[in-house]
Amino acid sequence: MYRYDEIDKQFLADRTAEFRGQVERRLINEITEEQFKPIRLMNGLYLQLHAYMLRIAIPYGSLRSRQLRMLAEIARTHDKGYGHFTTRTNMQFHWIKLREAPDIIDKLATVDMHSIQTSGNCIRNTTADPHAGATAEELDDPRVWCEAVRQWSSVHPEFSFLPRKFKIAIVASLKDRAAVRIHDIGLYMRRGRNGDLGFEVAVGGGLGRTPYVAPTIRQFIPAARLFSYLEAILRVYNRYGRRDNSFKARIKILVASLGVEEFARQVEAEWEKIGEGSDLPDTELARIRGAFTPLPFETLPASSSAFEEARLADPAFARFVRNNVHPHKQPGYAIVDVSLKAIGETPGDCSAEQMDLIADLAERYSLDDVRVTHEQNLVLPHVRLDDVPTVHAALAAAGLATPNVNLISDIIACPGLDYCALANARAIPIAQHIAERFADQDRAELIGELKIKISGCINACGHHHVGHIGILGVDKKGEEFYQLTLGGSGAEDAEVGKILGPALPENRVTDAIEQLVEVYLRERQDGERFLDTYRRTGMAPFKEAVYADVH
Amino acid sequence: MKALTANRLIDGEVVFWRKGEWIERFADAELFDDPAVAEAAEAHGKNQPTVVVDVYLIDLVDADGIPTPVSYRERLRALGPTNPRQHGKQAEGGKVIAALAQASGAARSTGRVNLIKR
Repeated sequence: MYRYDEIDKQFLADRTAEFRGQVERRLINEITEEQFKPIRLMNGLYLQLHAYMLRIAIPYGSLRSRQLRMLAEIARTHDKGYGHFTTRTNMQFHWIKLREAPDIIDKLATVDMHSIQTSGNCIRNTTADPHAGATAEELDDPRVWCEAVRQWSSVHPEFSFLPRKFKIAIVASLKDRAAVRIHDIGLYMRRGRNGDLGFEVAVGGGLGRTPYVAPTIRQFIPAARLFSYLEAILRVYNRYGRRDNSFKARIKILVASLGVEEFARQVEAEWEKIGEGSDLPDTELARIRGAFTPLPFETLPASSSAFEEARLADPAFARFVRNNVHPHKQPGYAIVDVSLKAIGETPGDCSAEQMDLIADLAERYSLDDVRVTHEQNLVLPHVRLDDVPTVHAALAAAGLATPNVNLISDIIACPGLDYCALANARAIPIAQHIAERFADQDRAELIGELKIKISGCINACGHHHVGHIGILGVDKKGEEFYQLTLGGSGAEDAEVGKILGPALPENRVTDAIEQLVEVYLRERQDGERFLDTYRRTGMAPFKEAVYADVH
Repeated sequence: MKALTANRLIDGEVVFWRKGEWIERFADAELFDDPAVAEAAEAHGKNQPTVVVDVYLIDLVDADGIPTPVSYRERLRALGPTNPRQHGKQAEGGKVIAALAQASGAARSTGRVNLIKR
């Protein structure tokens, strides 16, 4: 985990004091709203439908117990007792008062957290594999590189006013649990021909109005040269990105308009000019790596009798293990996914009491480590197999053991029109209705992996473009309608989904999902996920089922 | 028929205009039939930058004798989010809250669109 040094702490203290003064000056109109709005946004404070919303950065989705407890304290004291984990692995509080915002930011600083660069045209929070440091699949711990990016990109003077916002994701295993190719820069750790570590570099992914899966612009950049290469990419974007039209200002538009080869050529030319001066010194990398020092794992047998006995004795625990527990690189340990998708609840919401409980469990059973996933769940990454039954029981008692990770009720949903000033339609109630329809866990397991992602507007915070089934809320002649897409994926087989047909009214959406699932169950061949069947059969049988009544 | 709405600066609370004051309950909002009177109130509201932000007029329709915002978005602002029905102004309950919650049909929030364009 990262650690703030004295300079970081002083910077945050100064920044909060500055913001406190700015809020006071706004309240007596020494600063107008027009002047104040960009200031509050630079501190992650938005004005939404019902109140202010504060977006707090959770660097690469990693939290320590004391940080999660502070989020619980903020939820209890300054919100309505809960917080919302987002697809950017951040936390949003939706009922914040402007006059209390400086106090909240002060509290965050006491646990090395802040809300800076969670808005605006700057480099945002870096997304990482939530199983980093725990999975045996990885070549290196991607959080080390995420932390280096965090330090490099925080208040970077050259990249604080980019044409548009900028998001980076890093994974170090073949499995993509961070939706890397829908980021402005996606980095896949690879091993070069001589065995050295490096990165495959993908640039120009993104969702929103014009979705793109990021193409690879360089197959391998040695790890030691990463930062000069990132600087080259950002410089080309900073210089040529469309500042005249915010709809065309993301780097994905620049890459698409120049073409991948020409964009890559310009980056290489800029990189030549930069040289090695901007690269991370080995000593600095070693210092950062030191903050992720080897964890105090116990030497344990690879299997646990307590774990196996519980699995045989308790069908609910066995189901939890099938869906929410994953192999760990260390013998005798497991990675435990904590679903924030209890049936009928709001995806990504977590109460203060639940946060406190997870913090306690992390401290006691997971080496003080909690991760946030871009699919709006949490992870306890280092749980001894012996302790998994105890952790499961504690989670179950708090409504946190829903065994549905990657299943049909593990739905991403943005806040939508229930909270968001930009949304056209609600997203959360759609997710709630679908989850309730598929509440039968036997049926959910029979259906298998099926990722439904819902956005309340074209900005696509709910990642609908890359849902196996995507749902986009649209305003159709003043009514809430929902456009369905099929075949998207944010994983290693990334693809943008295709529109199924005309948008459906709200009361047709869950039935349509049911019809799509029925087609899949009818058509699927051995071992096929929903996505595989769709890719084999194409759109036709699905479209026919949903729109049969229309013909 | 129109009402005047805004968000209160200090806490972001949704507020409505009533005879020179900003109040929290939609049920108590002043109703304007005369566009000139509505626009005068809007101008007055916009001149209170230390009290409110995002001041705009919303369209209302009569729903069984209870004036109700035409726009779904504005009904949500007057009620609170639909995912937990206990949050926001709807927690208070009452006849007008019930009418707003039951109102159907939706339209773009014309006042808000103007606000965004501005």
